[in-house]
Amino acid sequence: MPKLVLKFKETVLKEVIAGAREVSIGRSPDNVLVIDNPAISNYHARVFAEEGRLMLEDFGSLNGTFVNGQRVKMVELKEGDSIAIGKHTITVWQSEEGAEFVAGGDPSRPAPPKIAETVVLDTKERREFLQKVAAVGESAQIAPSRFKVPTLVVHKGKTDQREYLLNNKLTVIGKSALATVKLKGWFKPKVAAQINRRDDNSYYVGPADRVPSVNGQPIAHPTKLSSGDIIEVAGVRLEFVYRN
Amino acid sequence: MQFGARTDTGRVRENNEDSYRVAPEINLFVLSDGMGGQASGEVASRLAAEAIIAHCREATENPSLALAGAPVEGVSDTSNRLASAIREANRIVHDEANKDDTRHGMGATVVAVWIAEGRMSVAHVGDSRIYRLRAGEFEQLTQDHSFVAEQVRRGLITEQEARESKMQSVLLRALGIEPEVEVALDEQLMMDGDVVLLCSDGLTRELSDEQIAGVLGESKNAKEAADRLVDLANQAGGGDNVTAIVIGSTRKKMGFLARLASWFEGSEDLF
Repeated sequence: MPKLVLKFKETVLKEVIAGAREVSIGRSPDNVLVIDNPAISNYHARVFAEEGRLMLEDFGSLNGTFVNGQRVKMVELKEGDSIAIGKHTITVWQSEEGAEFVAGGDPSRPAPPKIAETVVLDTKERREFLQKVAAVGESAQIAPSRFKVPTLVVHKGKTDQREYLLNNKLTVIGKSALATVKLKGWFKPKVAAQINRRDDNSYYVGPADRVPSVNGQPIAHPTKLSSGDIIEVAGVRLEFVYRN
Repeated sequence: MQFGARTDTGRVRENNEDSYRVAPEINLFVLSDGMGGQASGEVASRLAAEAIIAHCREATENPSLALAGAPVEGVSDTSNRLASAIREANRIVHDEANKDDTRHGMGATVVAVWIAEGRMSVAHVGDSRIYRLRAGEFEQLTQDHSFVAEQVRRGLITEQEARESKMQSVLLRALGIEPEVEVALDEQLMMDGDVVLLCSDGLTRELSDEQIAGVLGESKNAKEAADRLVDLANQAGGGDNVTAIVIGSTRKKMGFLARLASWFEGSEDLF
């Protein structure tokens, strides 16, 4: 299956599989490839399959769509073609990814009943699938902070340490025996807030007995932490940072 | 801790391949959804749920009981024990599946929670789910090991496309399929007033998050909530077996000292 790689300068923003379903390109958020830039029309262009060929159609956009430097209306795409839209480029690559795994699948096949028998992908299938999705998934999800140590630095308030390395799945802030970040003081809650590490090694802070704030905003839902975020809860102020 | 649990065949299937087992004396709750022809799905889910309860009970009596598989870093002993129990269950279902041809391909999902010392260990394999209702916020604590859920996580399809996909029943992991299984493990605090739900996909395919959260929030107790969820899923079509375990921590009234503390909170300089 061909895939489209959206880049801004040298940075890969997104990759999608093309062909099995139409890939619409534009500024409006309901496009498959959303390019949030004033130079892009709301519905700018589309890439679709027709009689086994991969086609690009410009929807009469204001600033145009260019393939290998030529402004185009409708053109067949080949491997290695570079589509320019505003300052973004979309490159066409052929990959070995199988059509059977693409969302939507073959439209000519009848849909099975809504609740089908559950099946499990066996080892080989699963490995191939995971390689595929890893190749086309959002590269941005692999955080550059992956090899750094997540740390809480205490800026204000009474705690038993000035810094805490977040090694655990669950980190509790409070007076409880469970707490890693131990609060001192008579009237502190047992469990003020909790921080969870998820399977992708991202960290989320969430409410417990208190609603913490992140960068000044109270958070009712668990909220993903980024380096430099300030957490305030029960009279303490903590900075979340990735240390080398 | 109070709990309620119910399982039902639903209105379409002939067999109930879901199983649940609980060990309330140690606050351990397990639900499994089996798969495989000739009634082997029922066998798989029952074997899995029973093996997990047995391993954890034995470890409670004898903490030095050997762990199945390597311990995970950064989690409590309870969480590691729960993961060990699920690996053991995997081995038992896998062995049974390979005994004779009629059982070939049988497998099961599992979700399990074990609450100890205010901490809840959460473990799962497959597409059964665990949810929590805390202070009006409804949250899914598990990420399905299914093909469509993985595609959503990777940004390849939307939630809506996932709900309509014909690949919904394709799992990436289950117990009994391979000699070893990777267990998803997490830890959460268990707070006063929290309501936790373990359920099979027969519930989540029939009811929306809003419907489920509504029942959990409005029911008098855990037993009533579990009954109402299963009834509602059947009324909505009952297309698959449906099972729900609802666990409620008892709500404590806020004491005088806690109220006082909440007034003074933040005024660290006073103390």
